[in-house]
Amino acid sequence: MIRRIRTIIGVIRGEEAQRLRNLRGVLELLRPYRRRVVLMFAALLAATGAALAPPYLAGRAIDDGIRHHDIGALDVIVVLFLVSALVNWVATYAQTYLVNWVGERALQDLRLRIFRHLQSMSVGFYARRKTGVLISRITNDVEALDQLVTDGVVTLFSASLTLIGTVVILLLLDLRLALVTFAVFPLLAIGSVAFRIASSGAYRLTRETVAYVTAYLQETLSGVRVVRAFGQERRHQRRFAELNDDNRVANMKTVYLNAAYFPSVELLSALATAAILLYGGNQVVHGQGVTIGVLASFVFYLQSFFDPIQQLSQLYTTYQAGMAALDKIFELLSVKPEMVDRADARALPVVNGEIRFEDVSFAYDPDDPSTLALEHVDLTVPPGQTLALVGATGAGKSTFAKLVARFHDPTEGRVLIDGHDLRDVTERSLRSQLGVVPQEGFLFSGTIGENIAFGKPGAAPADVEAAARAVRAHDFIEKLRDGYETEVGERGGHLSAGQRQLVAFARAAVADPRILILDEATSNVDVHTEARIEQGLRRLLAGRTAIVIAHRLSTIRGAGRIAVLDGGHVVEEGTHDELVEAGGHYARLLRDWAEQAAA
Amino acid sequence: MKTFARLLGFLRPYRRAVVVSFALAGVAMGAGVLIPFIVGQTIDRVRHGRTDLWPLVGVLLAAGLLRLGFSVARRLVAGRVSLGVEFDLRNRMYTHLQSLEVAFFDGQQTGQLMSRATVDLQAVRFFLGYGLMFIAQSVITILVAAGVMLAVNPGLAGIALFPTPFVLWAAYRYGRRNRPASQEVQQRIAELTAEAEESISGVRLVKAFAREERQLTRFSHATRRVFDQSMVSTRLRAFYNPFIGFLPNLGLAGVLVVGGRQAIHGTITVGEFVAFYGYVTLLASPVRMLGIALGMAQRAVASGARVFEILDRRPRMTAPPDAPPLPAGDGRVELRSVSFAYDDGPSVLHEIDLHVPAGRTVAIVGATGSGKTALVSLLPRLYDPTEGSISIDGADLRTVDLGSLRREVGLVADESFLFSATIRENIAYARPDASDAEVEQAATRAGIHDFVAGLPDGYDTVVGERGLTLSGGQRQRVSIARTLIKDPRVLILDDATSSVDATTEAEIKAAMRELMRDRTTFVIGHRLSTIALADEIVVLEDGRVAARGTHDELLERSDLYREIAEKGLPDQVFLTRKPAEREVAGL
Repeated sequence: MIRRIRTIIGVIRGEEAQRLRNLRGVLELLRPYRRRVVLMFAALLAATGAALAPPYLAGRAIDDGIRHHDIGALDVIVVLFLVSALVNWVATYAQTYLVNWVGERALQDLRLRIFRHLQSMSVGFYARRKTGVLISRITNDVEALDQLVTDGVVTLFSASLTLIGTVVILLLLDLRLALVTFAVFPLLAIGSVAFRIASSGAYRLTRETVAYVTAYLQETLSGVRVVRAFGQERRHQRRFAELNDDNRVANMKTVYLNAAYFPSVELLSALATAAILLYGGNQVVHGQGVTIGVLASFVFYLQSFFDPIQQLSQLYTTYQAGMAALDKIFELLSVKPEMVDRADARALPVVNGEIRFEDVSFAYDPDDPSTLALEHVDLTVPPGQTLALVGATGAGKSTFAKLVARFHDPTEGRVLIDGHDLRDVTERSLRSQLGVVPQEGFLFSGTIGENIAFGKPGAAPADVEAAARAVRAHDFIEKLRDGYETEVGERGGHLSAGQRQLVAFARAAVADPRILILDEATSNVDVHTEARIEQGLRRLLAGRTAIVIAHRLSTIRGAGRIAVLDGGHVVEEGTHDELVEAGGHYARLLRDWAEQAAA
Repeated sequence: MKTFARLLGFLRPYRRAVVVSFALAGVAMGAGVLIPFIVGQTIDRVRHGRTDLWPLVGVLLAAGLLRLGFSVARRLVAGRVSLGVEFDLRNRMYTHLQSLEVAFFDGQQTGQLMSRATVDLQAVRFFLGYGLMFIAQSVITILVAAGVMLAVNPGLAGIALFPTPFVLWAAYRYGRRNRPASQEVQQRIAELTAEAEESISGVRLVKAFAREERQLTRFSHATRRVFDQSMVSTRLRAFYNPFIGFLPNLGLAGVLVVGGRQAIHGTITVGEFVAFYGYVTLLASPVRMLGIALGMAQRAVASGARVFEILDRRPRMTAPPDAPPLPAGDGRVELRSVSFAYDDGPSVLHEIDLHVPAGRTVAIVGATGSGKTALVSLLPRLYDPTEGSISIDGADLRTVDLGSLRREVGLVADESFLFSATIRENIAYARPDASDAEVEQAATRAGIHDFVAGLPDGYDTVVGERGLTLSGGQRQRVSIARTLIKDPRVLILDDATSSVDATTEAEIKAAMRELMRDRTTFVIGHRLSTIALADEIVVLEDGRVAARGTHDELLERSDLYREIAEKGLPDQVFLTRKPAEREVAGL
């Protein structure tokens, strides 16, 4: 029991420590802009102070001006009134501008920091996480912070200051009348907080239900061909109406809550007015210190007493959402990069391109070495040779390729290029001599030219075109309406699979790497493109050391050497002819395929 | 204006509730406006040394309670109306979209359509649901308060009300200017998101080419653009909000100067002075609200025009009323000089004549763009031919009930779209009442049962965007199962096994062959193994039938087929096959 309590306390302490760390992190973000922050607070103070003046001045106008028939005093008060209104205007402008400037700037910095941090992460880190989750750290979570940093901070300070200021002024004006006025305070505060808590749940439900409505709409629009082909429109309409109704029911709850809360606050305000008039009026009549002007001031101040309490209660939700976002962001930022250059890492000199695997084993999960993706692989690829990796899904082909690019370090053994252990050289110097062609020809948004130039910093248009010519991509690019300036669309969506493949070849070619890693596409393309890809590929491979995850027979046949992988082992090695001759795994695969193709 | 009138038409089913809520709002606002007046009266009583304040305070409390009651009732009635309008609008839009033919969606980007069905619809429902009520409420408050003020002291009322039109104008202008500015912020955040997404999805390439700097520069540029645009929006807010807050102070200053003098001269009482001050503060918020609501109205009309553009689009693919169901038969398919073009584009099929006897399996081959997919899309009547006609078992497709036709024609498309639902629900899509045994049987035939059974949640595994991500081959097999459960008379496999690896294809080949036995089947495929299943092969070239025949006949007769067969077909993936499973493959 005691232990359990201790654990709970520990958890709470841990949470507190985390909150503290988070807040410190936020302050850290604001530090470069501390001067503007100070200015912002000055403006906020001025604005709040100026906003508090009018009700007081109106009271003084009654007492000093009207009751004493003193037009001079009245005019002085009017001038003061206008001055305070002007100060409020200017100061609010400055405060709004500054808080947004600092807030947006700090969040921009935070976005960049998260992005930079993500870039320092190894490929293994990405493999374990969903893209959507990582993106929402940069977008949704940072936006939730935006609320906290801009609206939240301003509301917190200006509402608190207004509230405190009003309370002090009222107390100074008349202690007893002030206490009578404050009688509604607990009711208003408790009611407001209760309302916010209840409605934050209710609003969350409306957001969730409307998200379902939107997602359903989106999905059935994307799948409209399926819906039509299966004639299921009615069913979708019924389901949509259900989801729509769920949203209506959820919204109705917020209607009930609002209908209960806001009119009640208005009633409280009427109650407070009544109390002030009744009690204060009697005080005035009996000459007990309260003047008509003071009485009027009290009535006028009610608004600046009610508003901040309602605003402060709203902070609760903003704070909750902001803190949750902070937790997630700082949790991500606290993950240490797994692969960093050693302190004594050297730059890899220009290589010939000999790749050697020395007794290499690798497990994706280092805690579970029983799931080895590669096991005791010994293999040397001489400079300039193409090695085709052949084997079933999960045989270890892509793991092999990833180790050459040093996306991971081997669990055991060494991977060497020209005799340099990859762990001893800097990542940058290795990668700058490496080219990669991914399987589905991943392209970045932008033009074809930009995508090719991606391979080489500062590539000139001439380099881009030369590379495209080299891999036979130039012909099709030239035929496009905008040539190299053609936008490829999201993920290259405007190009066919074969065209994407050719652009990816050109991108690798422009880098002119010594070592090439290529994951051959499995998708079907039409005859003409197929022929072009075959030629382009041959030219791309010529003269480089290449590791090819091969799927096409022509590629495999053309390779200098074939390694057949099975369950993380290299089970066979040699040229096409040698392996056919040997009559082992490879020969069997080939025979099976031929039978099937003929079937 | 016409759009506006049509928008108001959405309120028709609720007209009584609308009238009631306006009436309730009128009483509530009237009671609210009464309060400053009573405060003034009370203060005058106090000024005259009277202590009989209870009656007036009692009236004030009564007004407060009246306002409470009527406000609660008004919110409940108006809330119900606005939610009802929202519900109706969404359902109406959705039902309408479901009635439109596939060709309509080809011409639209899903994003555009989504934006109309969500953003524009929201602008409309906000206005109809809340905006109108805001306007009514604000106008009632302003009129009643102005009326009281004018009745008490027209001159002072003129001065106190002087800033009102300016507040209205500024609030309206702010809404109009800020709207595009903040939309642009959202747009730039979307760009930033896309940039981040690309860097994360393409991380292997970025790392492999050591281009982290480039990505960082681009991302940094994107954040800068967001910042700059936020500042545009901030400047507007920083200017307008304090300005709108400042204007009523001019009215207050006017009341102080002129009203103060009048009070000194005894033209008005102190109580009236206090009441005027109270009215000016009371009016600030409804006037501002009115400005915002007028902006809303303007937006709603613009959005409404876009919404009506969709709602007014008549469905073009309909069956005649009381169309008979597809007559019974074995699936004889006839195309008579069929030509077809997508939308207003060039023809992709030219005068195709094709008679396929019931039970026959036909493979359709041809280069990309030769019209294969277009041809098979006509059979479930996803599109209508521009010329010629198609019949199944003697009935012209245009004369039969659409639902019955689509029940009998099963299409497995190359891009297998699955819904975010369980695997069971996806397979049973066409027949939600299918038993577990039927679902499993369909899955077994499509070669996906073993995989599904091996999942921790089995057939209850949720797939799609919000669930488990299946590989292309797995998706294709689920979608084959989804079609098989319909037991269609005519089956279309449009490149349906392109992502299924060779081993699995071999596994399901036997099952496929059996499936094709009792029905008319159209197969589009690239692999010889797929094409080998066909009784007959149709070679398409530029939308025309270039040749027909068996594999051997065509090798002899058709140059095009020979080229496709020699270059395209054999050189396909084979080495992904698992050696251990050769026996399973039965080869």
